Amino acid sequence: MVSRHLGMAVLASGLLATQAGAENFETRLSPSPLTDGTRINVTGQGSALVQWDGNILSVSGNFAGLATGATTAEIYDGPGIGIPGPKAFDLSVTQDTSGTIWGSLTLSRKQLADLRAGHFYVQINSAKAPDGNLTGWLLPPHPFAGEGVPVAGPGFLPQFDVPQKASNR
Amino acid sequence: MKKLLGLSVLAAALLGASAVALEQGPFTADQWRAGRALYVADCASCHGPELKGAGEAPPLAGSTFIAAWGNRSTDELYNLVKTSMPYGNGNSLDADTYRKIVAYVLAANGAQPGAKPFSGSEAIKIATIADGKTPAAMAAEARAPARGGEGGAPRPASFYPQTRFGQTVTGTLKSYDPVTDVMLAHPKDGDWLMYRRNYQGWSHSPLSQITASNAKNLELVWSWAMNDGGAAQVTPIVHDGIMFLSNTANTVQALDAKTGELIWENRIGPAPTRAYGATRSLALYGDKILVPTTDAKLYALDARTGAIVWQTVIEDAKEGYSNTGGAITIHGKVLVGLTYCNRYETKHCFISAYDVNTGKVAWRFKTIALKGEPGGDTWNNLPDEFRQGAETWIAGTYDPVLNTTYWGTAQSKPWTRASRASGAGATLYANSTLALDPDSGKLKWYYSHAPGENFDLDEVFERVLVDHGSSKDVLTIGKVGILWKLNRVTGQYEDSAQTVFQNVFDKIDPKTGIPTYRKDVQDAKVGDWISSCPGPAGGHDWPATSYDPKSDLMIIPLHQSCVLMRAEPMEKKIGVGGDAGSQKLFEMPGTDGNLGRLAAYNTTTMKALWSFQQKAPFLTGVLTTDGGVGFVGDFDRRVRAFETLTGRTLWQTRLPTSAQGHIVSYAVDGKQYIAIESGLGGGSPVGKPTTLLPDIHHPNNGNAIFVFALPDN
Repeated sequence: MVSRHLGMAVLASGLLATQAGAENFETRLSPSPLTDGTRINVTGQGSALVQWDGNILSVSGNFAGLATGATTAEIYDGPGIGIPGPKAFDLSVTQDTSGTIWGSLTLSRKQLADLRAGHFYVQINSAKAPDGNLTGWLLPPHPFAGEGVPVAGPGFLPQFDVPQKASNR
Repeated sequence: MKKLLGLSVLAAALLGASAVALEQGPFTADQWRAGRALYVADCASCHGPELKGAGEAPPLAGSTFIAAWGNRSTDELYNLVKTSMPYGNGNSLDADTYRKIVAYVLAANGAQPGAKPFSGSEAIKIATIADGKTPAAMAAEARAPARGGEGGAPRPASFYPQTRFGQTVTGTLKSYDPVTDVMLAHPKDGDWLMYRRNYQGWSHSPLSQITASNAKNLELVWSWAMNDGGAAQVTPIVHDGIMFLSNTANTVQALDAKTGELIWENRIGPAPTRAYGATRSLALYGDKILVPTTDAKLYALDARTGAIVWQTVIEDAKEGYSNTGGAITIHGKVLVGLTYCNRYETKHCFISAYDVNTGKVAWRFKTIALKGEPGGDTWNNLPDEFRQGAETWIAGTYDPVLNTTYWGTAQSKPWTRASRASGAGATLYANSTLALDPDSGKLKWYYSHAPGENFDLDEVFERVLVDHGSSKDVLTIGKVGILWKLNRVTGQYEDSAQTVFQNVFDKIDPKTGIPTYRKDVQDAKVGDWISSCPGPAGGHDWPATSYDPKSDLMIIPLHQSCVLMRAEPMEKKIGVGGDAGSQKLFEMPGTDGNLGRLAAYNTTTMKALWSFQQKAPFLTGVLTTDGGVGFVGDFDRRVRAFETLTGRTLWQTRLPTSAQGHIVSYAVDGKQYIAIESGLGGGSPVGKPTTLLPDIHHPNNGNAIFVFALPDN
């Protein structure tokens, strides 16, 4: 089972890697939304890669460590980065505590603009966390320099459609 | 069996008829009755004997509790209590104790006992078994327990080691040079005379022995275990080779700063009864140490002996008030703030000044604008008693040339516009910079950074005074993570810079700096879950910035996490109060689980020079030095020395528990020392990572100070 999941993830990431000139987006999938009261059921971690080739949005990802089996996986389209919104697409998901997610999606012009603005997020639901177990906002690739390793400038992702810095005026 | 039946009958009588329409609770009468004593021992110190809540602790009974928990389940309540309580020490009690406490909380909300004991795994919607109405007999019993300790609340049995209070160690300093206005304005290089070291609030030392090339050789010189229990975010104060330390339980100690030898100790008390609300600093003036205490009193100690010279009451601690922000001394007056002003009552929060020699109050400045007063029309016409908050929990700074003291205020209470019913009003003078005349308390100007704040995003933190040519500026950064620059003569907005991802403001007016909240924030109603990035841990929180005058860099410790916050209903009634916001946490987009960020901003250009991320958030203020070396500590017990100009790590070590407090540097006999604290009870900056980063562990004891220096050779 594990090797099958691994194989699918490798296949998906390999496919994504071969599309030269495509737009890529990525996210870490982390337990959320989370309180101390739900932490026992909202566990695990994962990652997702999304590639827009001009026609199709290809989604691949993996996850592990859920307290109960995954039931559904979806892409949501929020009104802004970090702001929940309505469901936009269903994804395929392994019905287990670890596995993969995948999908091939067609976007409207508005949805493509929303993707580029950072409004899309991936959510995996599970039996005991039906309203969200792992989530993550799809953003352009942003490699981590390492613990305590300085980078030039502010170092956080651009704000897309949220506010202008007054110092940039 | 007969005995059990009798208990059940008694319990049913106590619980009364109010819960007739409700289903039976998933607990027994034996459980809730046993839970009452356990609640008093382990919970009442924060949540109150009548479960009404206080300070940062929410109500556990009544309409506010049911509004927050009615649609949630009994197993979620159990899991929350078990994993996070007592505050800062989750999972420290046995499972049966947690079950009984939860049974008591449910019973106190009108739930009736049943035949089966509560196991913790029953997923029953709380609104189906409880309506928030505490049975009369049970309420009367809750009011009965013996009182004592901070704020008049019962003291938990195992919270703070039993000790006697008073002058527990006597001794006299060999010499002591009284602190003058001139010394405060121009401190000796080796001294650290106040919270942020200088009146400008820089947290910068002019000492330069420790450099980027030799910092790797730093070694421990001495350490000192401090009081455990309560909250510790200490700033050591150093004058002429003597270190004055404020411990929990308002214990003040004088130590030889070179050797760590104790000279005198005064355990003022009372014992801490809650794991939040630390006293962050002491203040010096003349031959006195000024000690604002967690029970909202102000003491003057003889600096030579530690003996109490005078004491006065700032506000009544039995009503929940406290002082955590420390003090600043100006012109023979000691200025202090006030916190936990989040209940509906006729009183309001204030900044106040006292004569250093007598303790007599000189003035008070009320931080809430009432009806008919300037700014009083910013509260949506709310009656005065329902205008609360605007606490001052960080001590102010001071410009001797302008003779102006600068203070930040916290948000209005309850947290959300919907719970407050304050509409789109700015709720002055909440979340503002206040410029006051230190002699009279008269307001010179104010600037509202976040008019009508909605998410527990304080703008209360340090006001840092920096001159750029002829421009006299004041800089500050709040929980939203916007670094603000104002003209400190006029209060006019000059510039701002975003330092972490944020989605709270849609835009900031480039001329006035007035932010516009997202539309869904403006339209939010009670019961709506609304996103806030950053969440209540900041952005920036109490771990303070440092300004390095050589490089014109402000080094800012930043926190990266988000919440969904739901406004809860708040009954408009005297005595009712609280923050009325439920929270669910999530990772800040784009941070990949790195809650910590340290960033260096040029205060002229407001551009970032460098930044780095790490998993653990920072829990110390930053120190910079003239040697070009900065210091900062974190949730994961790590302390780093870094190069100010590049952020490059030069040296690191780990402490017994989270590095927490305010790092300082001083010199004795020509040798430079770095004092770093480990501590507990850091509020949201600790609470959020405790939930989000369960794989980072730190012991729940270990308040201490560690002093490092270069080897003598």
